[in-house]
Amino acid sequence: MKKLVALVLALVMALAAASALADVKVAFSQIGQESDWRTANTDSINGAIKGHEGWELIYDDAQQKQENQIKALRNFITQNVDYILFTGVVETGWEEVLKEVNEAEIPLILIDRMPDCMDKIEYAAAFGGDFVEEGRRQVAWAGEYLKSIGRGEEEVNVVIMEGTTGAGAQVGRTEGNLAAMAEYPNLKLAAQQSGNFTRAEGQALMESWLKSIDKIDVLIAQNDDMALGAIDAIKAAGKVPGKDIIIVGCDSVKAAFDAIVAGEMNCTVECTPLYGPFVVDAIEKLIAGETLGKELIHPVEGVYDMEGGINVGNDTVSVKAADVINERQY
Amino acid sequence: MKKKFDLTAITKSKLTWAVVAEVLILLVCLIVRPDFFKISYQESTGMLYGSLIDIINRSSEITIIAMGMTLVIALGGTDLSVGALVAVSGAIALKFLRWDVLEYTTPGDYTVCSYALVLIVPLVVCLLMGLFNGLLIAKGGMQPIIATLILMVCGRGIAQILTNGKQFTTGYSPFRVIGQGSFLYLPMPIIITVVVVAAVALFVRKTAFGTFVESVGINRSASRLSGINAQLIIFIVFALTGFLSGISGLIYSSRIMSNDSNNAGLNYEMDAILAVVIGGTSMTGGKFSLAGTVLGSIIIRTIVTLVYYFGIASEATMAFKAMIIAVVIVLQSEPVRNYFSKRAKKRAYAVKGGVI
Repeated sequence: MKKLVALVLALVMALAAASALADVKVAFSQIGQESDWRTANTDSINGAIKGHEGWELIYDDAQQKQENQIKALRNFITQNVDYILFTGVVETGWEEVLKEVNEAEIPLILIDRMPDCMDKIEYAAAFGGDFVEEGRRQVAWAGEYLKSIGRGEEEVNVVIMEGTTGAGAQVGRTEGNLAAMAEYPNLKLAAQQSGNFTRAEGQALMESWLKSIDKIDVLIAQNDDMALGAIDAIKAAGKVPGKDIIIVGCDSVKAAFDAIVAGEMNCTVECTPLYGPFVVDAIEKLIAGETLGKELIHPVEGVYDMEGGINVGNDTVSVKAADVINERQY
Repeated sequence: MKKKFDLTAITKSKLTWAVVAEVLILLVCLIVRPDFFKISYQESTGMLYGSLIDIINRSSEITIIAMGMTLVIALGGTDLSVGALVAVSGAIALKFLRWDVLEYTTPGDYTVCSYALVLIVPLVVCLLMGLFNGLLIAKGGMQPIIATLILMVCGRGIAQILTNGKQFTTGYSPFRVIGQGSFLYLPMPIIITVVVVAAVALFVRKTAFGTFVESVGINRSASRLSGINAQLIIFIVFALTGFLSGISGLIYSSRIMSNDSNNAGLNYEMDAILAVVIGGTSMTGGKFSLAGTVLGSIIIRTIVTLVYYFGIASEATMAFKAMIIAVVIVLQSEPVRNYFSKRAKKRAYAVKGGVI
């Protein structure tokens, strides 16, 4: 028995020694695999860190469970890693474990989803999408596009297909959608309802809208999946998606690019999962002794449509989807 | 004495109250928006087009599963795994449809593994998973709710593994027929549902199977003593439910031409159980009503369609659905039905000139 314990100890020490060879140990607690977006997000961050010379990645997939993430974070502390990257599966309940990370003086980098205790803990940097801006861009694109085809004065009916009620993306994008609607007085809100971010519900919702609303000109779907579902419903109603009804999605998944190239969808506003380069850049800056501040850092995101060249404000001009479809990684 | 019209029996039947509930909901629709009932012919798709068609069309997935669920509940059990099996079925179908997934091409008709595989393998796998449930319950003596919990939890995981956690999209047109095609001016899912309901109804009512199920549900030991092979009955019922979940999964994924391991069939087990209960089958097992279940499923879908059609705010959707379902369930509860049947009795008595 004693021998066994000694053997295990020796093994642990050997492993510890081996891992100490790497210069920088970066640990990443990811929530698990839930969607293509999340897979691309994981691959991007992991790839960027693994690909960096002298850096070692310790990755933990929490399988959508908070207790797994808390365990992983505590493991990272015991392993004495140099940086912790963290995306929380839920917003609440992180204060205790993140304070432990602070006590261990490991720089914490928050990614994508922000815990609600942000103002009570220390963190080195925070990266996240700007949902409000994405929502604003969706409507701005529709407004500007209508102007560009000479329908800027015409009254058009807009329907907003929201995401899962209460989700961060739904709250932010709805706020952005409604704020931008006020900027374009020719856009009239005909209906807004949740399609739960899924293709099936987007399809069923559009099917009903086509019957209850006499004239729908623009569909703003808060993610691409709902837009793709709606396309089938529009076809079934004998209308031409992309022409009779202008469809604006969000996320910029590859299937949406395919639909745009096929002429069945008009635009998709990007919500990029490719955080790898930004995160590597941030860690390099931190190593060099710079500080990145408490403000949420937004990744650079584009807007993709059929023709390109629509200015949606904030220095962003849409890009023709067909030109960049082969570069899409997710 | 000749009985012309037995009001008591009608007011006592749970099915009557399900009909009353559906009619009441539709009546409200009629008053608020008469065009809700408009049905027209859509030339581009060759199908009838209207909200009522949508309701029946979109209730297909639940109706098909609920046929199996009715028998499961009649046995005194529940099957929680049906929603996960819907995801598994879709994942397998899309896996075969997108065998080419490594070389990504634009949508169109893809070269697939034989189309027969796309249809048969998901159904066979779901049948086997249903058999697995049956095995745990009949041979292992486990509570159905616990036994089926296993596949409910790990089924979605299996679906995720099958597709590497990815969502595949296909444009293969023969596959589109299942969920979006038409036959006899009706959407294909309605036709599939009618066939499934008719087949299950014939199977349980024209053979002794339905009686056996009721008997096992009321008293398993007594049925065994009277010579019914209770284990075999349980096997068949759970395997059938698995198989029907597979059909439902094919319809779901054909509608969106994609698999969605996270959301396909999400909460279907709850909707199916609710459909059965609204339809008047008791959770304690025993007597069951397939017609009631079909109606229950249609009521659930009517509520969803209503929410969409009338643009009820998304925050209020859940509360609105819960409210209607609560009213329907209360209408069917024992005390309420007894109250109405007593009144009917009294009235019948009074009409005959009796003194109350």
